[in-house]
This record gives sequence, structure tokens and C-alpha cells, in this order.
Amino acid sequence: MILLPQARGIIARRQVLDTLVRRDLHVRYAGSPIGYLWTILDPLAMALIYFVVFTYIFEARRVGYQPYVLFIVIGVLAWQWFSQCATETSRALLAESRLVRSTNLPRELWVVRIVVAKGIEFLLSLPVMFGFAIFFIAVGETKIHYRILLMPVAIVLQFLLSVGVGLILAPVTVLFTDMPRIVRIALRMGFYATPIIYGVHAAPPVLQKILLLNPMAGILEMYRAGFFPHELNVPSIISSFVITFVTLIAGTIVFKRLEAPVLKEI
Amino acid sequence: MRPVIESKDLGIEFYRSRRRKMSLREIVFKGKNLAPKDTFWALRNISFTVEQGEAVGLVGGNGSGKSTLLKMIAGVMIPDEGGVKVRGGVAPLIELTGGFLGELTARDNLYLAGGLHGLSKAQMDERYDEIVDFAGPQVRAGMDMAYRHFSSGMQVRLAFALITTLDEPIVLVDEVLAVGDRAFREKCYLRMENMLAGGKTLFMVSHSEADLRRFAKRGLYLQQGTLVGDGPVEEIIEQYNADADAAR
Ligand SMILES: Nc1ncnc2c1ncn2[C@@H]1O[C@H](COP(=O)(O)OP(=O)(O)O)[C@@H](O)[C@H]1O
Ligand SMILES: [Mg+2]
Repeated sequence: MILLPQARGIIARRQVLDTLVRRDLHVRYAGSPIGYLWTILDPLAMALIYFVVFTYIFEARRVGYQPYVLFIVIGVLAWQWFSQCATETSRALLAESRLVRSTNLPRELWVVRIVVAKGIEFLLSLPVMFGFAIFFIAVGETKIHYRILLMPVAIVLQFLLSVGVGLILAPVTVLFTDMPRIVRIALRMGFYATPIIYGVHAAPPVLQKILLLNPMAGILEMYRAGFFPHELNVPSIISSFVITFVTLIAGTIVFKRLEAPVLKEI
Repeated sequence: MRPVIESKDLGIEFYRSRRRKMSLREIVFKGKNLAPKDTFWALRNISFTVEQGEAVGLVGGNGSGKSTLLKMIAGVMIPDEGGVKVRGGVAPLIELTGGFLGELTARDNLYLAGGLHGLSKAQMDERYDEIVDFAGPQVRAGMDMAYRHFSSGMQVRLAFALITTLDEPIVLVDEVLAVGDRAFREKCYLRMENMLAGGKTLFMVSHSEADLRRFAKRGLYLQQGTLVGDGPVEEIIEQYNADADAAR
């Protein structure tokens, strides 16, 4: 069995995980008096830019669902979690090489720790999203749908997806020096290849098929399902489940395979 | 009772050059298979067992693979051949300050490093005074300072105090049996003796004959990655010295 022993190893050392995550958050929020604000200012600024560009310049609100601001804020916040995870997990083993070299912990922990820390930042940014939601409910532009129950599912699925991606990126980066550059480019393209500022319905049919291969598309669909009463894109959601589990298993195998050479190299 | 360390046909192969670090440019322009597989076995066919409570000294010239062997016992490197079974937790006096980060305060560092070695916050609270007392008054006075502002002697004193407080049944030592100034070294020796008296298993690398004689009963001798001697420490030291003299 793959996955189970790894999961058990991590759970057995959850105390260490807790220590590391606390340290990450401590470093992030202790360095600046408005540390928390930065967590939300960044995605808010992004959302504002896209909102202005697409509403006033291109007059293309139709690419998303209404209210468009809420649509973008959800997309940008979730994407930020994913892209920060990919960037930082790809450096996970190198950046902490001294710690990795001198402690005998399940080494998947160094990846999981980043996804958890970034996940907590994401959860801390959710009040912003709910703020917008409540505002638009109050002015009658949207309603809460029971499908909001899909949101926790989306969070869990995105967590597993990010861990899977991180388990591949972290060891590969140690052995393959150009990896961080590739990740940077892939993320930049991924932003537009993911329905963040547009909805799948607005994409041409060919692109809609391609988007089925993007697990973040189905995950965003679930985040948004509670606020936007459109028909649920079930194939996309199923596909995101399948791809997430394939990625997680592939990540576990790659990590196990590369662990020995990585430890020699760092 | 089963041995606490059981090494069977242990072997590890390293790249001689930085071949393994591939860059896109190299793959595109040279093709990664053109690179010669320039490797060597840093250790091979290493088999031995260590019983609970034994004190073993590992000797050998520079580059003979001593540190690599300790790392595999500590579980921070993975063998390519065979394996080593370790029954019980390990307190590694190897890269002493490895778990410490310069930018955090010494106190935060202590809790972090303790956590990484498996101590809970409550256990750390309990041991905090003991650790800092052992590390000495200068260290105690600076616990809220950034760790990188510690003198290097103070840094290793704190790290040494922490690792030797871990209470693991197996102690691995890579040439850092004692750290710091003369007075502190004596404290280290005493602590080490107390740990041994308490029934812990010691596996140490040392170039100091005095240390080997004082702490180890049994010796292991590595020569270019092969185990060439295993016996009473006195005999192993003699064998090692004879080889060294012959090579001169
Ligand atoms: N991570 C590594 N990558 C490549 N070669 C290594 C690595 N670690 C050790 N070596 C090589 O393995 C040999 C044994 O090293 P080491 O175990 O450190 O020797 P020592 O007995 O002096 O402690 C040396 O030739 C060293 O250069
Ligand atoms: Mg050495």
C-alpha cells in the first residue's frame, strides 16, 4: 500500500508539524505589524485589477457569473493558495536543507508543512470572501445555496492536490536545477488556464474540454457553487477528484524513489 | 536480547562530480546520458552488530566513510545496498547546530529543535532549565537574543545541552564528544560518562586516542569504505596506528 504508511508517519509526528507550522506563521506575522493585512491585501489588489480591467475596459463581465467581484475574489484567493504552495514546496527540501539533513523525520513532512501553513493563511483570508458574499446577499444580487457545503470538500481536495504536486516538485528541484524557473512559468500560464477570471461556460468548446484536465477548475467550481446558481459542472468536479488522487499517488511514488539521491545531494 | 544496531551488507554509492545536478541546458545541449556514470562506493559490505549498552569507537582516515556510516545509522541518509536496523531512538551529536536557525531567538530555537527531535512543548518546558543551566550563564543571559549573535562556542554549547538531554537510548557522536572551552569540555565528558553509566549505547567517531580509550570498549576500523577491523578498542587503535605509520 502506498499513501497509508506516509499518512501514518506524518500523523505520528503531528507535534513536529505543529511546531513547524507555528514557526512559519510566526515568521510571517511577527515580521510586520500588519502581517495579516498582507495576506488579504495581495489577492484583493489582484481581484481589484481584474475587476477594473474586465468590467470597465473590456466590458466583459459576462465571462464570469454575477456578481463578478465575488466570482473573482473566490478564484484569486484559492489560486493564491495553490500557486504559493507550488512555489514554496518546490524549494521545501533545499531551503531547509540543514534541518532535513540533521533530523530523522518522515521527509514528506517538509512538503505537508508548507501546504498546511499556506492553508491556514488561506482560511484566514476567507472572511474577506464572506464579507463580499454577505454584502451581495444584502443588496440582493446573490443568494446562499445549500451547495455551499461543497466548499469544505473543495478545501480538502485542494489540500491533497497541493501535497501531491509538492511531493513531486520538492525532490525534483533538488536534482534538477532549472525546476523553479519552469514552475514559475507554468504557474503564470496556469493562472489563465484556470477559470479564475472567467467561467468555464464563457470558454470556447475546445477549451472547455481542455479545462477538464485542470483539477483546479473543478475545485473552483465547488468553491463557487454556494453563491452562483448556475448548473453544476459535474464532469469537471469528477475529473478534479480523479486527477487529485492520481497526482497524490504519483507524488508519493516519486518522492519515495528520489528520497535517497536527494539526501546525498542536499 | 536483540542488538540495538544491526548493519547488514550496508553500502552507499556517491557521484564523484556534480553530475547529478542536472540543468535544462545540459540536458538540451549534451543529453543527460552522455555524462559518464562517475560514481564510487563510499561504503560497501559493512556488517556488524552493536548490543545494548556497548560503547563502540569508530576509527579511520579522512574520507574513509565514518560520517556517512553515522548518518545512515541516524536515518538521515539512505543506503543503496543492504541496510541498517536501529532499535530505539537516536540522539545524534552529528551536525550539532543543524536544527538551529540564525534568525530566531535562542529560546525559540531551543523549542523548535527540541520539537524536531520529538520533544513536546510540555517536555521542553520541563527540561528548559536543565538545558540552559548546563549550557552555562552566558547562554542563559542571551536566551532572548538572535541565535546568530551567539558566539560559535555558545551556539554549540546550547545545541550539545539539548541533544544530550534527549534521553534516547542510542547516542551517536561524530567528533563532537566535547565542545566549547576547557571548563565546558570537562562538563561534557562528565555528562557523557553519566549517560554511559545509565546504560545507553554509544557509537562514536573520534581521532583522539584518549577519548577512545576513555569511552569506548570496542573498536571498529574503516579503511576506504571497508570494515577492516572489529575488536577491543586497544587492539583497533594499535592496528590503525600501525597502518598510519606504514603509510608514512
Ligand atoms: N553527500 C555526498 N555526496 C558525494 N560524496 C560524498 C557525500 N558525503 C560524503 N561523500 C564522500 O564519501 C567519502 C566518505 O566521506 P565521510 O563519510 O564524510 O568520511 P569521514 O570518514 O572523513 O567522515 C568521501 O570521499 C566524501 O567525499
Ligand atoms: Mg567525518
